[in-house]
Amino acid sequence: MRVSPWRHLNKLRWVSLTLVFLMLILLPCIHVYQNLVAAHAYDLLPASDKTFYDVMERITDPFVTDPAKNLDKIKGTTWSGTFFGLRLSDPLAVVSQSAAALSVYWPFVVTALIPIALTLIFGRFFCGWLCPAAFLYELADKSATWLRKTGFPFAGDGKNFNPRFKYLVLAVSVIASAVLGTAVLAAIYPPAVVGRELYYTIAYSGAGVGGVYFLVTLLFDLLVIRRGFCRFLCPGGALYSLLGHYRLVRIQRKVEACDDCTLCNLECQYGLDPKRDGFGQECNNCSACIAVCPKDALAFTVRLRDAPYAGPGHLGAAYRRQRDKNATTKEGAA
Amino acid sequence: MKRRSFLMALAALAAVPARAAEPPKGTLRFLRPPGAVPESQFAETCIRCGQCGMICPNRAINYFGLESGLKALDTPYILPRQQACILCMKCGQICPSGALKPLVREAEDILAHVKMGRAQVDETLCLSFQGKTCGVCYRACPLQDVALRVGLLEQPHVMDGCVGCGLCERSCIQMPQAIRIIPHEYGA
Repeated sequence: MRVSPWRHLNKLRWVSLTLVFLMLILLPCIHVYQNLVAAHAYDLLPASDKTFYDVMERITDPFVTDPAKNLDKIKGTTWSGTFFGLRLSDPLAVVSQSAAALSVYWPFVVTALIPIALTLIFGRFFCGWLCPAAFLYELADKSATWLRKTGFPFAGDGKNFNPRFKYLVLAVSVIASAVLGTAVLAAIYPPAVVGRELYYTIAYSGAGVGGVYFLVTLLFDLLVIRRGFCRFLCPGGALYSLLGHYRLVRIQRKVEACDDCTLCNLECQYGLDPKRDGFGQECNNCSACIAVCPKDALAFTVRLRDAPYAGPGHLGAAYRRQRDKNATTKEGAA
Repeated sequence: MKRRSFLMALAALAAVPARAAEPPKGTLRFLRPPGAVPESQFAETCIRCGQCGMICPNRAINYFGLESGLKALDTPYILPRQQACILCMKCGQICPSGALKPLVREAEDILAHVKMGRAQVDETLCLSFQGKTCGVCYRACPLQDVALRVGLLEQPHVMDGCVGCGLCERSCIQMPQAIRIIPHEYGA
C-alpha cells in the first residue's frame, strides 16, 4: 500500500497545537520566575515558591545567563506577542483596534502582516494549527466521542446551522467596538481569552470572567452543536475564512483513488464534505481527513479554487454500477 | 430572517449611549502604566494582549476584571500603594497597540511623556509635618529635586516634575499613607 507523506501532517499539527498551548503556560511562569529572581530573596520564599523557582531555573538555565534580560525575548500570547524582536499580532486584533479607535495605527498593522500573508496562502490554518482554544475544543470533542458511548447526552452530528452566522458575529462585534469604543473582539474571541486567562491564573489570583465565558463556549460545543463555536460563531474564524477564500494551498480529493468510504466526512470536525469535494473557505487545512483516508485519496494541492464535484470515487460501488450501466446502454445502442 | 436579525442587532446597538469619555466607573483610584494615552482613549486603543504586565519586572501591573465597568475589562492598571512603577519603561517598549508609548529610560523622555498622576501630601498625616523628621518619600523618589524636594525637617514638597510613579506612596511609613498619587483624570 502506498503511504502518502501528507498522512503524518496531522501528527505534526497536534505537536504544533500542544506546543502553542504549553508556551501559553510557560510564558506566564517565566514572568513569575523573573519577578522572583529580581526580588533577590530566595531564602524568604515559601516552600511552594522555592520549588517553583527551582523547576523554572532547571528549565531555563540552559538558555539564559541573565533571566531579567534573556527571558524578555519571548512575551505575549497568540493575540499579540513578541518573538526575539519580531512582533506578531492576530489580524483580528488589528480589526478590533481600528474599529474601536476609529483610526488605524500603522505600526500595529505591520505586526499583523505576516499572519495575514500566511492566511492568504493557507486559509484559516490558525484555527487548526495554532489556536489554543481550538486545541481545547478539539480535545473536548475527542473525549466526548468516548463519553458519548456511556450514554451522556453530548451533542452529536446531524444538527446543523448556517456557517455564515459567524460573519454576522464578526460584523456585529466590529460595529459594537466602534459604538462602545472598546475592544469587544478581545473579550469574545476564544484564543485571546484562553491566552489571557491562563496568564491570570498563573501570574495573578486566578481566572476572571473570561474563564467563565470560555467554559460556556466549551459547553456549547459539547451540548448544543459539535465544534459549534469555531464553525458558527467565531469572529476570528470568520475573518480568516474571508481572507482564505482564494487560498493557494488546499486539500483536494483524487477521484481515481477514492472508494467512497466516508471516513473523511466522519472525521471532519467542521462537518465539511471532503467525500464530495466540499471543502470551501471553511476548511482550515487541518489534514485530519488526509490522515484517516485508507486510500490516500486526499492530498494538498496548490490552486486558487476547489475542484468541482468529480462524481463518486472510482474505487467505490456507486461508480462501478454507473460504469456498468453506461456500458450496457452503449452495447444496447450498438 | 438573516437581514432582519442583523438590523435588529444594529438597532440594539444604536440604543447604547455613544462613546462616553469619562474615566472607568468604580471607586478604585488607579494609575495606567507609564506613557499611556489619555484615559479617554485608553479602552479603545489597548488590545488587551497582556504583554505590559508580562514584562513588568516589578509586577506592578494588574488587570481589571468587571469591577471598573465593561469598557475597562482586561485593561492594565497600577495601584502604587501595593506595588509602584519603577519607571523602567519596558511596558511601553513592548506594547504593540500604541496604548503605551514607546519611551526610553531617560529623564527627559520620562518627564516629557509620562503623566500617570501627581503626588499630594496630606500635611495632617505626614510625620515630618508633625515634627518627626522622616524623609522616606524623598529617598524613594526616582526624580529627586525634580519631582519632590524636602524642606525643613525633611518636609516633602511636590514639584511640577512629578510623573506619578507612586514610589513615594509605596514607601510612606505612615498608615494611611500621607503622600499619595492622584491620577490626572481625578483633577490632579
